[in-house]
Amino acid sequence: MSTKEERERIELLQGTLDLLILRTLLPGPAHGHAIAKAIEFNSDEVLQVEQGSLYPALHRLIKRRWIAVEEGTSENNRRAKFYRLTRAGRKQLKVETSKWDKLAGAIARILRPAE
Amino acid sequence: MGRSKRMLDELDADIREHIERETQDNIERGMTPEEAHYAAVRKFGNVTRVKEETRDVWRVVWLDELWQDIRYGLRMLRKSSAFAAVAVLTLALGIGANTAIFSLIDAVMLRSLPVEKPSELVVLRWSARKAPRINGYMSSGDCPSNLRYAAANPSGCSFSEPIFREVRNTNQFSGVAAFANAGPLALTGNGPASMISGQLVSGDFFHTLGLKAAAGRELEMSDDSPTAAPVAVLNYGYWQSSFGGAQNAVGRTIELNGAAFTIVGVVEQRFTGITPGSDYDVWLPLAAGPRISNPRMWDNREEKVTYWWLTILGRLKTEAPMLQAQAAISGMFRNEVLHRSIPLFEAGAGMPGPPEPRGGGVPASRQVVMGGPPPAGARAVPPPPGGPQGSTVVQGAAPPAAGGQGAARIQAPFPPVAQGQAPLDAAPDAPKEPRTLSKPDDEPTVTLVNAQTGLTGARGRFANPLYVLMFAVGIILLTACSNVAGLMLARAAARQKEMALRLALGAGRMRIVRQLLTESLLLAASGGILGIVFALWGSHAIISFVANNQPRPLTFATGLDLRVLGFTVAISLFTGILFGLAPAFRSVRVDVTPRLKEGFSASTKISRGVGGRFSIGNALVVTQMALAIVVLVGAGLLVRTLQNLRSIDVGFDSHNLVIFGINPSLAGYQDAQIDSFYRDLQGRLTETPGVKSASYSMVPLLSGALMATMFNWPGTPQDRESESDVLAVGPNFFSTMQIPFNAGRGFTASDYEIAASAASRSAPPAVPTPVIVDQAFVAKFLGKENPLGKRFGQSAASQDGPASPGYEIIGVVRDTKYSDLRRETSPMMYVPQTMQGASFEVRTASDPQALVPAIRRTVAQINPNLPLRDLTTESQQIDRLLFQERLVARLSGLFGLLALALACIGLYGLLAYEVTRRTREIGIRSALGAQRGDVLRLVVNQGLWLALAGAAAGIGVALGVTRYLKAMLYDVSAYDPFTIVVVSALLVLVALVACLIPARRATNVDPMAALRYE
Repeated sequence: MSTKEERERIELLQGTLDLLILRTLLPGPAHGHAIAKAIEFNSDEVLQVEQGSLYPALHRLIKRRWIAVEEGTSENNRRAKFYRLTRAGRKQLKVETSKWDKLAGAIARILRPAE
Repeated sequence: MGRSKRMLDELDADIREHIERETQDNIERGMTPEEAHYAAVRKFGNVTRVKEETRDVWRVVWLDELWQDIRYGLRMLRKSSAFAAVAVLTLALGIGANTAIFSLIDAVMLRSLPVEKPSELVVLRWSARKAPRINGYMSSGDCPSNLRYAAANPSGCSFSEPIFREVRNTNQFSGVAAFANAGPLALTGNGPASMISGQLVSGDFFHTLGLKAAAGRELEMSDDSPTAAPVAVLNYGYWQSSFGGAQNAVGRTIELNGAAFTIVGVVEQRFTGITPGSDYDVWLPLAAGPRISNPRMWDNREEKVTYWWLTILGRLKTEAPMLQAQAAISGMFRNEVLHRSIPLFEAGAGMPGPPEPRGGGVPASRQVVMGGPPPAGARAVPPPPGGPQGSTVVQGAAPPAAGGQGAARIQAPFPPVAQGQAPLDAAPDAPKEPRTLSKPDDEPTVTLVNAQTGLTGARGRFANPLYVLMFAVGIILLTACSNVAGLMLARAAARQKEMALRLALGAGRMRIVRQLLTESLLLAASGGILGIVFALWGSHAIISFVANNQPRPLTFATGLDLRVLGFTVAISLFTGILFGLAPAFRSVRVDVTPRLKEGFSASTKISRGVGGRFSIGNALVVTQMALAIVVLVGAGLLVRTLQNLRSIDVGFDSHNLVIFGINPSLAGYQDAQIDSFYRDLQGRLTETPGVKSASYSMVPLLSGALMATMFNWPGTPQDRESESDVLAVGPNFFSTMQIPFNAGRGFTASDYEIAASAASRSAPPAVPTPVIVDQAFVAKFLGKENPLGKRFGQSAASQDGPASPGYEIIGVVRDTKYSDLRRETSPMMYVPQTMQGASFEVRTASDPQALVPAIRRTVAQINPNLPLRDLTTESQQIDRLLFQERLVARLSGLFGLLALALACIGLYGLLAYEVTRRTREIGIRSALGAQRGDVLRLVVNQGLWLALAGAAAGIGVALGVTRYLKAMLYDVSAYDPFTIVVVSALLVLVALVACLIPARRATNVDPMAALRYE
């Protein structure tokens, strides 16, 4: 990996990982590794997620009952744990998304007042 | 949390899985397996930290720490097991005593009525400025009545039956019911004859209360009609005990007072009576009243607006506010009592016309029956023979002979006041027209009182003693708390090094406070658990004491319910925090460095710097001593009261006396047959071996029952009536009771004939009824005049009845106590007993209990169908009369000693601890030449000063609070110096003993060992 690449990667803001996980699960259940990959891929690999930090976040979301766990088989027929968005999680995703939009908008206005 | 455990268990596998997938991806991108694995692990991050963070997600931190605190606390308590044992025991005593008394308060005062939705149920209560002009008033004691002669603002819960019907007609309630005590019922047709208690209830009673039948059916409206077949409903418990719970009991016929009733059902188990503490065996419709009662006494009261005898209950409609119903009922009542135009007094007993003096217009059969005798029982309380003007006031419990079980169950509130009371309607300004029940300015109103609070029943009688005891146990709990706080302080002092070390190692102060509080709460919780055991045992003992002293078992359900448990938990927490907080906060206010240094090097300061702590210790001991004095003074006063009551001269010999009630009219005897039955029984009893003599009277002395009569004393205005207690007695009454004559003679056979002919009313009595009066009567009415031959109470013929020749005094006897011990002896007249129910008094040569079987046999010989009532001895009866005083004296005495013991344990603990701490100082003193006596004084002086300071403070507090006991005291001042001196001396003496033990240990300190120590 080049140094340039490293510079372009951004550390996640506190708490945004939860939001990303919820969003990632919106299309359907996925297992842990797939979630990490999806976040990386969808952000054009700009977002650098230390994959391990996914797990406390997953557990936090399970505890709040925003996602649920189910057993399943992965694409290569291995047993895997799938994480699924719950009804409450769906609702929470909406709330968090609109919060995020407001926050991003507000910060953007501050940073570029001329526009 | 199972979810968390499962998730965490699988975490390792999940992580491994994740890394494997990443490795696989990397290999697919062309890395070597080794490289791929390395990159995957690096990308994953620190596995241990991830696991830790994940675990933290699930952890409830405070719960973990709490568990840690508890484990640590338990370990500490195990390590100092002696301390823990003393503390837990102390707390258990305090908490147990509180729980026991509270469980009684709960059972007696707080438990909700055993009916559906008790909060909707109200009892009607009338009040007015002046007593209504009625001529019969009965209260079964279900709710407090305040109906006194000429007293202002009377009130009560009894209403006439017409009013009851009007209440029903107002349609303000979703259900209305009325009830009255049916009195003692002689039951035959189910084994040997027995006495049971019954209640007359309106047909909708059970329906209104929302009760179901356990067997058969409830009473219905159709049962409550004079033409309906007479039916009865049984109490579940009575059904079980007397009918063995047999289903075929329903449908059986029993005889009550000679009238046949068919049992139609059994009420569900939870309902034993509407008023707490007064249970009934059987319920009959109101319409059955005349069947079980003497018609003369029944007096057609169902139609009379002037006979108030029913307690009325209403169930509020859910949608209608109570005040609206109250306004409607009150308006109806006011209208009824103010504007009824029907004659007030029956059968020509009208109000006097203008020229006629008022005396002649007094109705003949006025009755005021309070707190007891039920309709049927009232038969025994007609006006005294020969005195047509006489009206009878029965106060207090119904006489066993007459009112029987009603009495047994509900005695009058203590103290029964009877003097100066008289029936209603004695106001001199009797209205001429219209004949109203009341006047507008009497302001008669009805209020609706929640049945739970309104139906006090026997509860009223227990309220005062229970609150006094609650106060005493509250103090004990405080003593126990301060005691344990003292122990904790001493321990905290010993643990200062530990605390300092923990603080130095970085423990948070709040964490340490929490740790210490957890230990306190652990102690309190253990104390609470042990306390519940004590409480169960204690309340059981108290209840059985109370029950043994009631003529009928008192049926307050006790035991642990949620409220009691909640109370215990609450006071355990409260005490734990109370005694734990101060030591906990002291512990963390530690300057770390000197404490640690002190611990590691030899301590140079011995008692300096700890002075502050000891002043708290001292203050706690002084507080305990003071609290103990307060309880002890109260207990002392109550014990003295009991002693005073016990040593009262009752005026007759109360030893070796068997008493029992028997009423042959319940078995169909009439008029003259009754008298000959009594004479026959009296003769047979006298002949029974072991019996010295026997007699009878309408009620036994000192049974709580009281009758009074009104008459005109010659020389006083006709409209001014005089009052005297009255008791009808059989032949040889005075010799049997050993009441000495001061002058004159006893009743002779001819005296009884005069009384009998006067009572039969077949012909107007020609001669005055002979009476025997007591010294108080002579003192009040005659002064120095010769009483013998004096006549009084004559009246001219009037609408009331024929002319009456009144009474003539034929003898004077010594004063005796009548209804109870507290009441002053008052003017009393004895009249010859005739034609009424009576109680026998049997004077025995030796142990009266031994003669009970012989007495039963003798009665059975005459008529096996006649049940004996309240067979007991006079001494037992006095014990029953005094049971409240005995209960309170015993318990408060016990609690006083407990408080004293706790206070002295506290004192001992403080001194023992101090001697340990001052070992070195004592050693130095001894080395420098202090004698054993000096050392002894050093310790004892401190203890004594604390005890004296506590005693002084306690006396101050006691003087402030004992006046609240005044109503319960007899013949002893609330500030009785004797009691105060004695309990203070007791306290100081016991404190001295508590000092001596540590003091002796101090004298045994070996100076060399003490100095080498540390």
